[in-house]
Formats: sequence, C-alpha cells, structure tokens
Amino acid sequence: MHRAAVCAAVALIACGGGDEDSGRTVITISSSVVGTDGPLLRRQLDRFMRMHPTIEVRLHRVSDDATQRHQLFVQWLNARAGDPDVLELDVVWTSEFAAAGWLLPLEDPSIDTAAFFPGTLRACRWAGALYALPWYADVGLLYRRTDLVPREPASLDELATFAQRGITNGGVPFGIAWMGARYEGLVTVFVEYLGGFGGQIMDDSMNVTVGAPEAVRALTFMRDQIARWKIAPNDVLTWHEEETRFAFQNGRAVFMRNWPYAYSAMADSAQSRVAGKYAVSPMPAAAGGHPTAALGGAQLAINRWTEHPDAAFALVQFITAPEQQLERAVAIGEFPTRRAVYDEPSLRAALAIPADDARRAVESATPRPVTPLYTQLSEILQIELHRALAGQVMPDAALAAAAEKMNAAIERTGLREYMRRPVTSSR
Amino acid sequence: MSGRADPRLTQDRRLAVAFVTPAVSVIALIAIFPLLWTVWNSLHLQDLRMPWLGRPFVGADNYVELARDPRFWSSLGHTLFFTVVTVSLELVLGFGIALAMNSAFRGRGAARATSLLPWAIPTVVAALLWRFMFDSQAGIANALLVAIGVLERPMVWFIEATTAWIPVILSDVWKTTPFVAILLLAGLQNIDRSLYEAAEVDGASAWWRLWHVTIPLLKPTIFVALIFRTLDAFRVFDLLYALTGGGPGTATEPIALYTHTIILQHLRFGYGAALSVVVFVITFALALIYIRGLGLRLSGEER
Amino acid sequence: MTARAERPWLRTLIVVALLIPIAFPLYWALAASLTSEAALFSDPSLWPSDPMLSHYRALFATRDFWTPVRNSLVVAGVTTLFCVTVGSLAAYALARLEFRGKALILGFILAVSMFPQISIVSPLYLLLRAMRLINTYPGLIMPYMTFAMPLTVWLLVGYFRQLPKDLEEAALVDGASRLVAFVRIIVPLAMPGLATTAILTFIYCWNEFLFALSFTLGPERQTVPVAIALFRGEYQVPWGEILAASVIATAPVAAIVLLFQRRIVQGLTSGAVKG
Repeated sequence: MHRAAVCAAVALIACGGGDEDSGRTVITISSSVVGTDGPLLRRQLDRFMRMHPTIEVRLHRVSDDATQRHQLFVQWLNARAGDPDVLELDVVWTSEFAAAGWLLPLEDPSIDTAAFFPGTLRACRWAGALYALPWYADVGLLYRRTDLVPREPASLDELATFAQRGITNGGVPFGIAWMGARYEGLVTVFVEYLGGFGGQIMDDSMNVTVGAPEAVRALTFMRDQIARWKIAPNDVLTWHEEETRFAFQNGRAVFMRNWPYAYSAMADSAQSRVAGKYAVSPMPAAAGGHPTAALGGAQLAINRWTEHPDAAFALVQFITAPEQQLERAVAIGEFPTRRAVYDEPSLRAALAIPADDARRAVESATPRPVTPLYTQLSEILQIELHRALAGQVMPDAALAAAAEKMNAAIERTGLREYMRRPVTSSR
Repeated sequence: MSGRADPRLTQDRRLAVAFVTPAVSVIALIAIFPLLWTVWNSLHLQDLRMPWLGRPFVGADNYVELARDPRFWSSLGHTLFFTVVTVSLELVLGFGIALAMNSAFRGRGAARATSLLPWAIPTVVAALLWRFMFDSQAGIANALLVAIGVLERPMVWFIEATTAWIPVILSDVWKTTPFVAILLLAGLQNIDRSLYEAAEVDGASAWWRLWHVTIPLLKPTIFVALIFRTLDAFRVFDLLYALTGGGPGTATEPIALYTHTIILQHLRFGYGAALSVVVFVITFALALIYIRGLGLRLSGEER
Repeated sequence: MTARAERPWLRTLIVVALLIPIAFPLYWALAASLTSEAALFSDPSLWPSDPMLSHYRALFATRDFWTPVRNSLVVAGVTTLFCVTVGSLAAYALARLEFRGKALILGFILAVSMFPQISIVSPLYLLLRAMRLINTYPGLIMPYMTFAMPLTVWLLVGYFRQLPKDLEEAALVDGASRLVAFVRIIVPLAMPGLATTAILTFIYCWNEFLFALSFTLGPERQTVPVAIALFRGEYQVPWGEILAASVIATAPVAAIVLLFQRRIVQGLTSGAVKG
C-alpha cells in the first residue's frame, strides 16, 4: 500500500502527430491535486521544463483509488495507448505490468541502483530486468500514546501488555487500532506480524509459505487481539486507513498501526485530541522473528508504447533525483527512497519522525511478493485472513486454505515453469 | 391482421424502416462490436499477465471452469437474492407511493419532487452516504438504534454477511423506488375513472377495485418497471463496490463485481467474457419469464 | 384509485410516513455536509453541532466543481435529447405502423442492455480510441445510448400505444404525411409521456459512473460522479466535501424535476406490451 496521493501518468504526445506549433515535445503528466502534492509536483515539473526547454509536461489527473487507477492503466495499456508515457505504479503492480509486456525496461547505464534501498528496488524488477525507479516509500509504523505507554514496546508481547494497561489505566476503549477491512491494507498489516514471527508469504522460488506454523502464530496473535484479549475492537474488520486514524486521533486507542501520512494529519490540535501526545516506531517482533515494516510507496515506470522514451526517461530520472526527493520529503513528509538523502540536515529537520527512525523503517521494510499474480494472490489471502479474524474459521484452516488456493492459482498459469526456463535474451 | 389495404401496408413498411432505422442503427453501431467481441473472446484463453500463453482458442473451456467455480455460483446466488428482494420491495413500495401520490393534495408537487431525489443522487454517492450512516463508530444508524433501545451497543454491520445485506438492500430500495413509483404513477393516471365508478356502483370494495381493476390495467407498466429494475439489479455494481466491496469475504459479492475483478484485477479477459455471456443469457431468460408470466404479447398487435 | 375523499388525514399521514424515510438520509447528508470531519467521526448526531460552510467553499475554491457539473449537463442533456427524438420516431413506428419483426426489434433493443457494463467497457474503449473519441463529449454520449435508447424506446412505445388509434386519421385523410401527422398531432398530445421519459433518461445518464470513468481522461470532460469519486485521496476520504458535492450535484436535477413534475403526471403509461 502506498501513499498514492500523486499518481503520475505522463503522456507524451508525438511531436509529429500532435502539437506542431510550439515545436516542443509535449508531455502530459497526470497527478492528483489533493493537498500539497499537486502544487509540489507542478513546481518540480516547471523546474524540469526550464532545464529541458524542448520538452513540455502537462498535468493529467487519474483517480487516487488504487483499484480504479489499476483499471484505467490496464485499459490504456491493453489498448496500446502511447500516453500516459510515464506511469506511477503501486509497488505491487510493476511485476504484473512488466510481465504483460507493457513497460519499457530501464537499461540506461546512468542508473545508480546502489543509491536506492534494496527493498524498494526489489519491487521494481521482474525477470532480471529493472522496469521502474522507486519514487517514495511508505512504511507501516506503530503509533503510540506517549501519555499512556512508557516507551517503545520491545516485543509483540510487550505491545499487548502495554495495550492492556493503557485500557485499564488510561480509560480508553481500544488497545490498538489497525486496518482490518478486506482489502490490501489488511495484507500489509498481516505482513508485519508475519515477519515478526519469522514467516513470509512466499519464498524466492515462488513457493507459498503462508501456511507455515510461523504464519499461523502471527494470524492467531492478530485474532487474539480481537477475540481473547479484547484489545482491538471488532470494528477494525471494517476499517481502512482513515477510520483507524480517527479512532486514534479521537483519543480512543492506545496504539495504532498506520502509514506515515497520519503523523502530520494528527498534529493539528484544533481537530486532533492527541496532538503532541504520540510517537512512532517500527512494529516490534516476537522471538524468532524480526521487526518488519510493510513497504508501500510508488514507482515510476515508462509505457512500452511511448513515442518519446528519452524524454520520458529524463523525466523519471529527474523526479527520482535526490534533490526532488528531498524537496518532497520536506514539503509533504513522504519518505525518500535514496539512502543518501537521509543524511541531509534539512531532511532531519523536516521529517515528522526522526530521520534515523525513518531510515531504519525503510531499511527493514519488506516488499510484498513480487509476482504478476500478486493482485489475485493477495485477494485470496485477504479473504481467508478476514474470515479467520472474524472468527468464522480457525487461523490454521484459513491459512491452509489460502496456501492451497494460491498454489492452485500459480499452477494454473504455469508461472513457476516459466520462471525456471533458461533465459536466452541478454538482460 | 386488421383489414388494411395493401398499399398502406407497403407504405407503412417503408415508413417503419425510415423511423426505426436511426434508433436501431445507433445502437447497433455502438453495441454490436463489443457484444460480438465479448462472445468471441469467451471462447479463448486470454490472461494478460501471462502473454507467453498466447490467446488460444479453447472452445467451451471457460464455461466449464465457470461451472466448477464456487465463487461464480455464490456470486450468482447473491445476485439473485439481491434482485428478488430489492425488486419485490421496490415494486410494492413504489406502488404504495404511486397510489398515495395519485390523488390531489396540497404540496403534491413538492412531495413528488422529494420522492424523486434519492434516485437523482449518483449511485456512488448514495452508497458512500449509506455506508457512513451504518458505520460502526460514527454512523447515525447505530446511534439511533441504541438511543431507542433496539440495540444494546453499536453493531458492526459489515462484518457479518446477514447484517451486511441490510444497508445494501435499504440503500438500493431507497434509491430506486422513486423510479418505479414514477412509472406506476403515470400508469395509474391513465386509467379511466369511469371504470372505478362502474365498479363502485356495483358495490365493489376499494380492495376489490384494486385487485380487479387497477392491477390488471397496470400490467404493461408493471412489466416495464419489472424488466428494467430486474436488468439493473442483476447487473448491480456501483452500489456494492462502494458500500461493502463485496465483503465480508465475498459474502455480498454480486456477479458484476466478480466479473470486474476477473477482468480488470486478474486480467483474465477470456474468462471474464464468459462470465458476461452467462449474465446476458440469464437476464434474457428472466425477461422471457416475465413476458410469459404476465401473459403479455411483445408486439401487442393482433396476430 | 378513488380519491379517498372520506379520510384526507389518513392520506396525508401515509404520505408523510412514506416521505420521512425517503427524506431522512437526504437531510442527514445536508447536515453532515455542514459539519467538520473530526466531529463527523466522533459523535454522530442529528443536528450539525457547529455548522460551517467550509466544505462548500472548498468545493469551488480548491476544486473546480463547475466543470464536472457542466460536463454532466451536456452529456446527459444531449443524450436525452437525441434518444428521445430518435427513440420517439422508432417508438411511434413500433406502436402505430404495420410491419413484421416488431418483437425482434424490441427484443434486440432490450437485449443490448443485458450485457454487464463491465464486459463491454474494454471493447468499447478500443472502439472509441480507434475513432479518436476518448475524452470527448461524443465519446461519452455514444456509449450512453446503449442504455438510454432502450429505455426511451420501450417507455414511449407503450405510451404511444395508449393514444387513441384514429388520432392521426383526420390529418392523414387530409393528405398530410405520416411524419407531419406525427409532429403536429401526436407529439403535442404525448408531451407528458415525452417529459417523463426525458426525465428518467436524464437522471439515468446523470448517475452513470463506469463509462464516464473509463472514457474520460481529465477534468475537462469528467462528469459529476467521476469528479466526486476523485475527491478521495489514497487514504483520506473527504466526507464533508463529498456530501457537499452530492448536495450540489442533486440540485440541478431537483430543479428540473420540480419544473416538469406537473407535466410528468398528467397522464402517461408505459410498457411495450398489451395485457
């Protein structure tokens, strides 16, 4: 899940077929203008255009709803539309679109892949080639009430204990709030508990490992929060990001698991009852696991049928350059995907959470499985997770069913065989 | 055939061609290609995520897979349930509203306009509105029900299949009953008063008049209301997408939403096309059932 | 139905009882659109605790809401106008002229609206793109006809059939052509039916979402439902603004309905079949 407050689709209209008068290459870029993203992007585009007088970039807006955006992209790319030229992709879409043959591989030697966090790059690759550059990162964070919790919980068990204490002593109704509705957000929450117990959804050979004992423990932990310890309300099963945020913001929860956007959203004391009373840290782990943050964010990729690959690439490089990433972090608070940016003094001052915590979080962030089938697999998982959390099936049965269906889906497409075939073309 | 002279028949036919052609050709121009494309595609395997599989002709394979797909059957069941419940409720309530509005009273115009407003709101907005009203924390429904004592504490409506259907059905009935009411009201207005008077003179009760005069004369209107509402209910998408997303799990997933997921999320265009063809066949069958059931002749001319 | 003149208060009671559940969500939407978001999520109440116009201001200041309203009016208006005109001709022919194949034509027209919209979005997109009509007014109006035309034709066929059979006879005997008879005699008498059909079709188009989302690219051509859907941020759902927008979006339709409602109910029957 990423903060797709800006979804950028850059459409290049061919010089030859489009605007003749200006003699410039005309690019159209789609972006949402929600909040401060829009003006920021416009500023950056203006700067780009000053640097490249022969390229014109236009703004074009697409829906922020991930499902709708996905639908539109599928439609356009399937119809081999040349625009938008540059696409802002959700981290889980790149392999899907790359497999479908809709993206241009990025092979320019000037790309310095070592400058980015490895986790963010994993989701940009498919079948050995790089198809996108990471733009900004979203990581799952644990928010806590500093007036109800003594310190950052060192383990998942301690998290539960603190939550329980917070309810009894602090008089708040909920111990912890998280997004449990049946959508991708639930998988991001699950991935963190899963990593915390030492499990993963799939291994690198595309074997489904979500039915393993670690996974069952993770899911049971989540379920116990609702059913046994009662530190999470039943309502979480209908919550997305906003409902979760409001629960915490209205002072009704001791902990919250959410994305970084909530940090600045809750700072206004006129609206928020917890302004100044919260802090963040990565989700803790249990014994045998490691602290895991779900990695979200966005990437920029190039439409395979673009008529101006060079201009599109220049734009992609520009927007993901260190200066622009820093500017974005300072203006909006979104986490950069380049390591070096975290050393900048202005970043340290501007990020909502301490820069070191942010870097730690992004470094430990785990991407979700990188596979073209991800959307389908995630849906299977969401359904089973939700059933288990709602108490309709036991966690082990739910995960076993999920693993079986996910395997069946992979088998039916012959993806594993395809991945194992010898790669003949140079990559 | 009525005894019309032959030249009239030929002239009629020529005129008919002239009058009917624009409408039919507009529809044909736009719809024929997509429909044929869909049917043709349903006979192929096309998974855009796996372009190396190509687009082979697989005959009825998609349909066979469909028959074995439990999610298809459950979504079909949900759709039928939704259609039956909402269409019946809307018919009954719409009829009631039409009867009530049929007479003259002060403020009739405003009442009619108000009753049409729910239908004028975009579906997505209405769905969001109802979802918000039934929100477990911030919803006014819980607040009211708790206040008047029906509920002990706020209920989480959307995590149980049975309770999740309630806001769904309520919002659809709220939104589309006006459509039915307007149609039926118009039909009521056209019934000859003298028929009622004659029945009254014979000593018939209001109830008898309703059953034996009003409803039979209203059959054609009822048919149109039924067929269009059924078609729409069967293809419901926006409402459930925005209200429950098909959840909890897939417990409120209608077939159009499943088709949407298959085509645009899983990129399985061939299978999705087969789903669409099945929806078409079923709605076609329903239309035929209505026609037979109501004892109506489609063309209305003496044969 | 008789006028129930004996118990007018009963009738009023029934009407009010029916109107309350209809109007309540509308009232609540209005109240919520005047409330701050934080208040919305903390304590639900029947009255706006601290009424404010900021959502409405935001609608027109930070978002350009006029353009989607204009686009919706154009698309719905033109579609309705075209479908009612062309459709009434077809309906007249189907209702009053003698020729074979009526059932087939009516069936075909209806069958077209039996395919789920989602399945024809992709091929329609390919078609519209080939005709370079994406993100244009015609690019929306044409797909809209796939559902607007069937509705119009079916509604009007029934209406025309209800009109007395020999209405045009006099004019025809006098030597006028069918078309003239249609325009001069039938149409004026059929005004109520045409008005109702127009309103129903207009609202149908006004509400349409999927095609509008798929066939437009930017705010210059997006319609109201799409614009409202775009209010959403990735996580943030600006409820206040969405509700304010829906209040505003409903206003033109409400106005049209109020203006024409008398014409609507002067007498119309619909249905393409005879009992």
